[in-house]
Amino acid sequence: MFLHKRLFALGLVAALAATAACSGSGGGGRSRDTLVVYTGQAGDYQLNFNPYAPTQIEGPGTIYEPLFFFNIAADAPPKPLLGTEFTWNADGTELAVTLRDGVTWSDGEKFTAEDVKFTFDLVAKTPAINKTGFKGTTTVVDDTHVTVKFSEPSYMDGPQVLGQLWILPEHIWKNYPAPATEVNDEPVGTGPFRLGDFKAQSFTLRANPGYWGGEPALKQVRYLSLSGNQAGVDALKAGSIDWQTAPIPDVANIEKNYPGYRSITLPLNQVSLFTCSNAQLGCQGAQTDPAVRKAIYFGMNRTQINSLAFQNLNTEMSPGFTLQPRDANLLSARLTDRMAPMNPDTAKADRLLTSAGYAKGADGVYAKDGKPLALTVKVVAGWTDYITALETLSQQLLRIGIKITPQQLSWNEWADARGRGQFELLIDSVEQGPAPDPYYTYSYFFSTATTAPVGQAANPNFARFSNPVVDAALAALKRTDRGNPARQPHYDAIQAELEEHMPYIPVLTGGVPNEYNAKAFTGWPGEDDLYAFPAVWKRPDASQVYLRLKPAGS
Amino acid sequence: MSHHLRRLAFYLTALWAAVTLNFVIPRMLPGNPVDILMAKLQQRGGSVDPAARTAYETLLGTGGRESFAEEYLAYLGNLLRGDLGVSVSAFPAEVSEVIAGSLPWTVVLVGLATLLSFLLGVGLGAVAGWRRGTWLDSLVPATTMLSAVPYFWLALILVAALSSGLGWFPLNGGYDVVLDPGWSAEFIGSALYHGTLPALTIVLSSVGGWLLGMRNMMVSVMSEDYVLTARAKGLTDSRVMIRYAARNAVLPSVAGFAISLGFVVSGSIVTEQVFSYPGIGSKLLQAVQNNDYALMQGIFLVITVAVLGANLLVDVLYGLIDARTRDRSTVS
Repeated sequence: MFLHKRLFALGLVAALAATAACSGSGGGGRSRDTLVVYTGQAGDYQLNFNPYAPTQIEGPGTIYEPLFFFNIAADAPPKPLLGTEFTWNADGTELAVTLRDGVTWSDGEKFTAEDVKFTFDLVAKTPAINKTGFKGTTTVVDDTHVTVKFSEPSYMDGPQVLGQLWILPEHIWKNYPAPATEVNDEPVGTGPFRLGDFKAQSFTLRANPGYWGGEPALKQVRYLSLSGNQAGVDALKAGSIDWQTAPIPDVANIEKNYPGYRSITLPLNQVSLFTCSNAQLGCQGAQTDPAVRKAIYFGMNRTQINSLAFQNLNTEMSPGFTLQPRDANLLSARLTDRMAPMNPDTAKADRLLTSAGYAKGADGVYAKDGKPLALTVKVVAGWTDYITALETLSQQLLRIGIKITPQQLSWNEWADARGRGQFELLIDSVEQGPAPDPYYTYSYFFSTATTAPVGQAANPNFARFSNPVVDAALAALKRTDRGNPARQPHYDAIQAELEEHMPYIPVLTGGVPNEYNAKAFTGWPGEDDLYAFPAVWKRPDASQVYLRLKPAGS
Repeated sequence: MSHHLRRLAFYLTALWAAVTLNFVIPRMLPGNPVDILMAKLQQRGGSVDPAARTAYETLLGTGGRESFAEEYLAYLGNLLRGDLGVSVSAFPAEVSEVIAGSLPWTVVLVGLATLLSFLLGVGLGAVAGWRRGTWLDSLVPATTMLSAVPYFWLALILVAALSSGLGWFPLNGGYDVVLDPGWSAEFIGSALYHGTLPALTIVLSSVGGWLLGMRNMMVSVMSEDYVLTARAKGLTDSRVMIRYAARNAVLPSVAGFAISLGFVVSGSIVTEQVFSYPGIGSKLLQAVQNNDYALMQGIFLVITVAVLGANLLVDVLYGLIDARTRDRSTVS
């Protein structure tokens, strides 16, 4: 998602900075114990350390910890934090968790199973903070054991309950009359960091000397607010920030342009053409015909799009929407193309359209019943990489007889059209869930339960895809524990259906670009050691990175 | 007296119209706060879980249950009580809190820059008009060119040259982030240092207008009889220029200045964007981008009141200075 920012404007600023002779880049080499991060915060910080508030500015992972850490970057077992072990009963309706002993809150109180029960109950009974739809009943067994009962098999809720519910201190939060709107200006947590000082332009986190895992080597993290990506690039150039997650011009030569800095780009978002695919739910236009969607799929030259629009940073994508290479084990043998072809197959596109009743007109554009095959693609104005991708794609498709016209909209207008299904095609990305498992992507974007007729807001099955095979497979996956080999047939069924119907036309897997100061700090996640997803705004992943970082030379 | 009553009635009507427009216009924006919040969070790796949307809807209370008319009446009622509501984008902060935190920055920065620009423009304009035909005339095209250059471009070039390149000024921000905001000398010094470059860009881009207006008024005033009389009396050149010519020439500029003071409050959105300055312009942008109706209404209200207030002030002052503007019957 982050790539589509104003790269043009970035280039402009960078060019200006470069022409202005001696750009200060002294920050790359300092050895110090304060890490300066820029999370993309545009404008002032509004004090809010309530980890359950959508407008919270920091806390999950750093100040408040979940029971386990689920790393969506790699197919790995969850890392124990406040919990040490969890087991499901045979039918997946009861989750037993063993808690860590000897943990204290940052105000000195002892952390117990009562805090976990308090947090879970608070979330379950407060709809305004229940972002995961948690409906379990929690029972304290003893000081270090709790069980959570569900009314139905809930294996798939595990990562949400264990990894996305931030444990709160009961002795403080029981006094808050309205937990949903509490700004919690003096956060007390069990995490590796505590709030340092807060100012509207910046705040700091300080290492927690009493942390159960030992005091972090990183003594302080400073969060800065800047006006946007341009300001971020300027700050990187000046060496005044150490870590940001945003595109920069010419990222391939980062070590030359920004001495001391390195970058890592990790695939996360599956960039796709979203189609309003379902005529039964009110979609209109040629894209409701799967043959048209597949003709676009085969007519696309992904190699060219990657090089012209994405600095060659994006990677191949599977038409079954498993995130590759993370989900390599789940990739189905039932797929015709395991990966979307990087080069176009125009003959196949022609065949598909001809057998669907389309015939080429005098202008070289296919038509059916007198109507030319012309579609509009909605894109957000300013998302320059997506706009370039669409311009490239429209020329590629025109060659095989499909006319697509990119239409630039303001962000709000685009998001509104997407939600209500008032589009033919649009470009966006399919996102991941709370654990390294495509189940979440499927249940969010491809389930009948998450869509709505055109005109009503769908969330987030914007394509209005509704398929009984997929729905049945999702229901079966929900009843089977993660790691169980019985899940694979269901994954296979879903992938085959998605390739067959293609409600979202795969383009490429989009990378999330990170730039970090490798000279002043060591311990950053690398391609060979993806212990957390390396994005500064990703919580709780960022806290795992902070825990590993060490000032260089110490 | 009836003059003042008439004016007052006019201002009240204008205020009501503005307040109503404040209510209507933001609601014509596409999208709704919850969807925008969801999408914003997703960009930062947030959850796309449908349960999250339900939770935010409950939290922000934007289910769209109330009718347009009900919302309007509630809005007017809250305004009368001085309650601007709760900001969605800075949830759960009050709108008044958000505005109070950002307004002083804009008022001081843009206010001082406007004052500086006015004084400089009028001063230089007076001299340029007085000595027309000399090299000073080249000030006019030079400064108007600076006004004609798109502001963000000028600002970016100055940032690139003076901040990135020479390192004379900080890149962005309103103060050094390691300091605590307060009345300490260190903090005020830092705020002044951070405000210099933004102020400089505002002055550079706006001084041309004042200068041109003042110079042209000077030129026409200089042909007035009273200037000739003053010269004939043998008064010194500088006395004639300042006390006789400039004093009369400056009147239209003063009126213009009062109006522009009203617009100081609306700030300079572009300035605050370029310099990451913590003012009201950046808050307005934040409100628009997040469909934060309450914050938009609050900021528009403050702007409206400031502009109307400045107009009222000019009206009253003109009424005092010039009787002709007070009574319609004397105007032929």
